[in-house]
Amino acid sequence: MARNKNTTGISVRINSESSRLRAHNETVPERLSDEILVTQVAQGSSAALEALYDRYASTVLGISLKVIGDQASAEDVLQETFWRVWKSAVTYQPQRGSFTSWLFRIARNLAIDSYRRQTVRPQEVYMEDGSDSILEEMPDPGTDVAEQTQSILKNRQVRQALASLPRLQRQVIEMAYFYGMTRQEIAEATGEALGTIHTRARLAVQKLREELDREEFEG
Amino acid sequence: MDKHIEELLPFYALDVLTDEEQKLVEEYLAEHPEARQQVEEMSRSVSALPASVSPVEPPRRVKAELMARVASDAEGRARASSQSQPSRRVTRFENFFRTFGFTAAAVAAIWIIVLSIQVSRLQSEISNLNSRLAAQSESLDQIIANLPQTNQANVITVSLKGTEVQPQVQGQLIVDPDSQSAVLVISGLPQLEAGRTYQVWLINGGAPISAGLLKVDENGQGVFIVNSEESIGSFDNLGISVEPEGGSEQPTGDIVVLSEL
Repeated sequence: MARNKNTTGISVRINSESSRLRAHNETVPERLSDEILVTQVAQGSSAALEALYDRYASTVLGISLKVIGDQASAEDVLQETFWRVWKSAVTYQPQRGSFTSWLFRIARNLAIDSYRRQTVRPQEVYMEDGSDSILEEMPDPGTDVAEQTQSILKNRQVRQALASLPRLQRQVIEMAYFYGMTRQEIAEATGEALGTIHTRARLAVQKLREELDREEFEG
Repeated sequence: MDKHIEELLPFYALDVLTDEEQKLVEEYLAEHPEARQQVEEMSRSVSALPASVSPVEPPRRVKAELMARVASDAEGRARASSQSQPSRRVTRFENFFRTFGFTAAAVAAIWIIVLSIQVSRLQSEISNLNSRLAAQSESLDQIIANLPQTNQANVITVSLKGTEVQPQVQGQLIVDPDSQSAVLVISGLPQLEAGRTYQVWLINGGAPISAGLLKVDENGQGVFIVNSEESIGSFDNLGISVEPEGGSEQPTGDIVVLSEL
C-alpha cells in the first residue's frame, strides 16, 4: 500500500481504496454514497461493507468506548455493529434516515447493552471545553485528507455546541444518549425531580439545535 | 399540545422512552404534524451527537476478524444459492434415467406428449370460453350504459313467454314505462337458418313498430336494448317474429313471442 507523509507528519493513505478493491476483485468506486454502498451490502458485496467499515469504524469505536469505557468490549461492539450491517442491510430504509444515523444507533444500542452487562465506568473521550488539538483529533489513516478535514471540522462543531450547554443540561443529554438512561433513571441518579429533568432535556436539545444551526452544521 | 406528551418528546428523540411511552408518542405524532416537525428538529440535533466523540482507530485485527466472518457467511450463501440452481434438476433427470432405464423413460415421454395434447385442448376451450365471456361482457356494458337513463324507482320487470310456435321461450323486459328504452333478456330461442332473423316489435292498438333485430347465441340466449321514439309504457304488447335477413316493415313470419306490457 503506497503512503506518503504530509507536513504535519501525519501519514496519509494514497490510492488505498482502489488497491484494496482490486484485491477483492470487486468494483466499488471510491466515492459511492453510503446509501449506495449499503444497497450493495444488501446484495452481498463484502467490498462495499469494507468501504463502509473504513469510513466509520473509528467513529463507531469512539462511541462504543465512550459508552462502555473498556477497549476490548468496545472492539467487540465495533465488530458486532458491522456484522449487523452485513446481516441486516436489506432492512435499512433510506427514507427513515441517513445510513450514519442507522449505523450509529446500532452501535450505541449495542454499546449500551454491553455497558449494562458490565460495571466498568465510561471514560470521557472528548474535552469538555472542546479544546482538543488538531493532532489529537486527527484520526488514524483510513480516509483521504479531504474526508479527514471534513470529519475533524464536524466533530469540532458538535463538541463546541455540546460544550456550550450548561453542565446540567449536557449531563442529561449524555446520560440519555450515551448511557441509554430513561428520564426516571436520570432523575433518580441526579436526585432531581422528574419535572426538572424534563425541562433540562427540552432546553438542552433546543440549545443544541440553535448552536448547530449557528455553526451551519450539516448532520 | 398535550403537556405530558410534550415532556416526552426530547426523550423520544434521544431514543430512551419505554415501549409504552414510545407507542403513546407515536400515536400522538400521527395526529399532530406540528409535534412531528418539532421531533424531527430534535432528532436532527441528536443525530449529530456521535460526531462529538473522538474517533478511535481500531486495531487491524478487528477488521480482519470481521471480514473473515463475512467471507465465511458469503461462502455459505453462495453454496445455498447454487444448490437451488437448475443444474440440480439435471442431476435428478440423470438419476431417473439411470434408475428406470430407457423403456420407462420412453413411456414417460409418451405420457408427456399425451398430456401436452390434453393441455392444448383445454387451452383451446378456455380461449372459446373467454370469447363468449367477452361477448357477454359487451352486452352487459350496453345494459349498464342504458341503466342510468332510467329512474330506478319506476323500473318494472315484465315476463315474456313464447307462443305455441316456441313455447319454451322465456324472457324478461326490464323497463321504466316512462322511458324510451328497455332491456330485453331472452332465452330458449333456437338459432335460425341462414337468411332469417328475429325482429322485435312494439305494438300499440294492433299497429306494430319495429324495435330492431335480435341476435341469439348458440345457447338460444340474447340480450337486446329496445329503443323507441315513444315511451315504452305507451305500447300494449311486445312481440318477436321470424323475418327475412335485414328485417321487415311489418311482421311476416312466425310470431315466437307475444306478451302484454
